Amino acid sequence: MGTIEFIISKYNYWIYVLLMMIGFYAMIAKRNLVKKIVGMNIFQTAIILFFVSTGSKKGASIPIIQNGHGDVVSHAVNAAQYVNPLPHVLMLTAIVVMVSTFGVALALIIMIYRKYGTLEEDEIFEMSEILRLRK
Amino acid sequence: MRFFALIVVLITGTLLLYATVDMPDWGDPYSPANTHVSPRYIEKTIEETATPNIVTSVLADYRGYDTLGETTVIFTAGVVCILLLRRFK
Repeated sequence: MGTIEFIISKYNYWIYVLLMMIGFYAMIAKRNLVKKIVGMNIFQTAIILFFVSTGSKKGASIPIIQNGHGDVVSHAVNAAQYVNPLPHVLMLTAIVVMVSTFGVALALIIMIYRKYGTLEEDEIFEMSEILRLRK
Repeated sequence: MRFFALIVVLITGTLLLYATVDMPDWGDPYSPANTHVSPRYIEKTIEETATPNIVTSVLADYRGYDTLGETTVIFTAGVVCILLLRRFK
């Protein structure tokens, strides 16, 4: 296999790894809590894209059966004609979990902001020390 | 700290990039994900569920209980948001 074919057949994975690295770095290195959450979202998006891309088939159509309802229903279906529907379904579930996590995390961040008045991690640490000493 | 984070991220990324060499090609119809169980869903969905959209038939018919659990997840998240953000008194 030549270099060009190798790049064409694998570059989608490289894009997802790059996206995952961006999200991972934001999760670890950023001090702002909202930026951390956004990094987590980028990470999850990379994983979702990766799973959806494993279901693709060259020259196949979206997974909706042609002539599937109406008077003329064809029962003979060629599986190579439609892309793999299972990654789509499972990633739908993953998107639901992602949105729920995002919502709860933002609610927790609002609570933190109400108590400490800031979203930077080091400032929250200093504020918690001050609040502890004041008690 | 930032430097350490960058090192960790680069190591993880390199390992994953190394692993992609063994992954099936993009759009390969004969990759393991496309050959084992998914043709059965594509071929039988009209016969068993009478739904042309395969994603819908798998989500709401074959995996109906999973979707029920998913709505529980959303409900729990909504309840938690209400409990956290409500101002007492």
